[in-house]
Amino acid sequence: MGRTVGIDLGTTNSLVAYIDAQSDQPKCIPGPYGGTLCPSVVSIDPDGTILVGEPARKRLLTQPERTIYSVKRLMGRGVDDIQDELKLFPFRVSEVSGNTIRVQLGEKSFTAPEISSFILRELKNWAEAHFGETVDRAVITVPAYFNDAQRQATKDAGKLAGLEVLRLVNEPTAAALAYGLHEKPAASGGKVAVYDLGGGTFDISVLRLISTDDGDIYQVLSTNGDTHLGGDDIDNLLQAFIHEQILQHDKIDFSPHGEIAQELRKELIALKHSLSEKESATLRFALPNGKTFEFEFTRGMLDALIRPVVDRTMTPVKRALADAQLLPGEIDEVVLVGGTTRTPLIRRTVQEFFGRTPHTELNPDEVVALGAAVQANILDRGVSNMLLLDVTPLSLGIETYGGAVGKIIPRNSPIPASAQEMYTTGVDNQTGIDIHVLQGERELARDCRSLARFTLKVPPAPAGLPRIEVKFLIDANGILQVAAKDVRTGESRLVEVKPSYGLNDAEIERMLEESIEYAEQDFAERQLIEARTEAESILTATQKALAGGQVDAIPADERAKIEASVGALKEATTGQDYKLIRKRIDELNQATMHLAELVMNTAISTALKGKSVGEV
Amino acid sequence: MTPLSVRSNVPMVCASCHERLQGPLICGSCGKLQSPEGTDYFALFGLPRKLWVEMGGLEQKFLQLSWKLHPDNFVNASEEDRELSLKRSSELNDAYRTLKDPVARVEYLLAIEGERKEGERKQQAPPELLEEVFELNEWLDELREAKSAGADIAALKTKLRAAEKNFGAKLAEVDAQMQSTAREWDMAVDEGADDATGKKIMTRLNEHLNRRSYIRNLVVSVAKELAEA
Repeated sequence: MGRTVGIDLGTTNSLVAYIDAQSDQPKCIPGPYGGTLCPSVVSIDPDGTILVGEPARKRLLTQPERTIYSVKRLMGRGVDDIQDELKLFPFRVSEVSGNTIRVQLGEKSFTAPEISSFILRELKNWAEAHFGETVDRAVITVPAYFNDAQRQATKDAGKLAGLEVLRLVNEPTAAALAYGLHEKPAASGGKVAVYDLGGGTFDISVLRLISTDDGDIYQVLSTNGDTHLGGDDIDNLLQAFIHEQILQHDKIDFSPHGEIAQELRKELIALKHSLSEKESATLRFALPNGKTFEFEFTRGMLDALIRPVVDRTMTPVKRALADAQLLPGEIDEVVLVGGTTRTPLIRRTVQEFFGRTPHTELNPDEVVALGAAVQANILDRGVSNMLLLDVTPLSLGIETYGGAVGKIIPRNSPIPASAQEMYTTGVDNQTGIDIHVLQGERELARDCRSLARFTLKVPPAPAGLPRIEVKFLIDANGILQVAAKDVRTGESRLVEVKPSYGLNDAEIERMLEESIEYAEQDFAERQLIEARTEAESILTATQKALAGGQVDAIPADERAKIEASVGALKEATTGQDYKLIRKRIDELNQATMHLAELVMNTAISTALKGKSVGEV
Repeated sequence: MTPLSVRSNVPMVCASCHERLQGPLICGSCGKLQSPEGTDYFALFGLPRKLWVEMGGLEQKFLQLSWKLHPDNFVNASEEDRELSLKRSSELNDAYRTLKDPVARVEYLLAIEGERKEGERKQQAPPELLEEVFELNEWLDELREAKSAGADIAALKTKLRAAEKNFGAKLAEVDAQMQSTAREWDMAVDEGADDATGKKIMTRLNEHLNRRSYIRNLVVSVAKELAEA
């Protein structure tokens, strides 16, 4: 069995983290470009090569038709849901089979879980390179307000990436875990509000931290949010505002999806970031007519512009508090999560509402991934001194007569949660009972999210005689399971629930097969490439040192040893055994230790030449 | 007849090590999850079927059992134990949700005692309220009409606010009655009263529940209309 990691699969950026054995603290794993953030961008080459992260992000401008960002917005969603998204995001929906959306990227089309799986696979690679071991299990975070279909889509993405998803953890809950570990909760029973505004989603969760003899319990009291509210909306407002300005002053109207608009958006995001630090900043943008558009932004103007987005977050905040039966003043700690919470207006608004300074000690971009690593560690070990008790964000209901919804599991119920309903037939020899499962708070079925429709098979009998007990169960991931039991015969079976949105088992199976085609080289292969690269660079360095003057100071037998090691390493690199290459690298390192010291000393003395002692 | 006080169906021995069980969910000596059919929510918490429940104790027991049953502890366990943990912990959560709420608790007790049938929530207006309810419905109709016609609704709103207050007071009254009948039930359990006594008390509890649910629906719908007006 391989390692287990925690993954934050974000709208804008994704991260992977683990628990460092030495410090017992969670840490994010850096990628090949140094940083821990992997932009959630995917680009497909004509030859089928998949680029993820920074290299894909660079192609947003040059090859937009092969590149996609913010794919999280499409997870678990149907065609009808995304009409608004299509106006704002350049998704190229190519075809629709049933309710599954496919996005065109170059020559091929992909589902949202497939594209997300490419991001997950990239993070898996980062972690494997870091550990030098395979990684096959993960805890993945999701917005707390994600519904069943969005959660299922995330779990499918994990599976497609070759990861066993041990648990989906709600993002604000994960953040609370990371903070809890960072700062031991002072008083038992402390109430914490986590305000999490990411790139595309907003969550608010209210938790209670309880210290017991067994350990610390993180009990979620309530959660609320908006899966379509985030930093992207702020960027959209900025973009619309500037488009209008340019139209007025320069009579240029460019489509929001064009290359130039994307470039402008990039500039505007940079401007937004700089206004978190400074009071004013100037936008300078080269227009297609050769002129330069200039606009001075003050923080006050930005605040006025984004106020509607900030205000929209406060409605879920108030609802979450009402559901937890708490007043703002009864919250002991407030935690800010998500890059968008760096915006000064948001900090100020949250602080004023709760009447206390929010916590921002942990990097708001990393804190969710760190919490995911904590939970991954807990699950990996089986038993621990921390326990997470989460809730379901939305009420579960079934359609009753006249299109109304009968709630069977209320929102904010602790999960796992279940409910039983008894069904019977209305006419003689009826052979099926139709059941429609929904999620949401509205009273009519058409206003709620359809999760599944299925028909219970009933043996022919007089009306009202069959008694079928249907058990609805929301598991610890917030995902629905349905089982039916014939009360008269005692026969139980799992009901195959065909999801209204998302992928069925056969589709996943097919994609799994296909994913092998897309999969990058396996672990050993990648190790081999890395070992060869390292061998190359040490060989070059050694050759250079051997050609330098310092080599004269080295005894002949030592030089012979170095040359033998060089030969052995060169030979190893022609083979397939990465472990052997590593061994030969170590041997060469040993042999050249003395030489390296001499080279280093010369370099230092050269560098210091001509400088006085005081300068050193 | 079984006296009320000993009604409980806790299984007595562990299915795995055959040691005596202290509770219905997990074996204290071997840690094996149990799968008894039909354990009721009271038994799950080791409580008698009484309607007064001490909240602090209930919560403590809930957290204690959560530590043992939560699926997080069974990630690396056998398929069978993972399923059991999911089942048991969902039952625990459902039980806690039900017993925490005083009204849900009464409904549940009546359901397991066989005194409350499915679908009984849709009831008719209590006869003595008929006149007031009729009047209220008239006002609500007038309000909707006035609103769509754009007429002045200030006077109607005042009337409806008064009605809301009136029915709110009636709701509090029912709650008080229910509490006092619940105390009677608890005493009957403590005294080991006979089945017939228990049945009589439950019939009254059932009436309180129906009346409560009816009045509550009224209060909610008036509040909703007023909020929209």
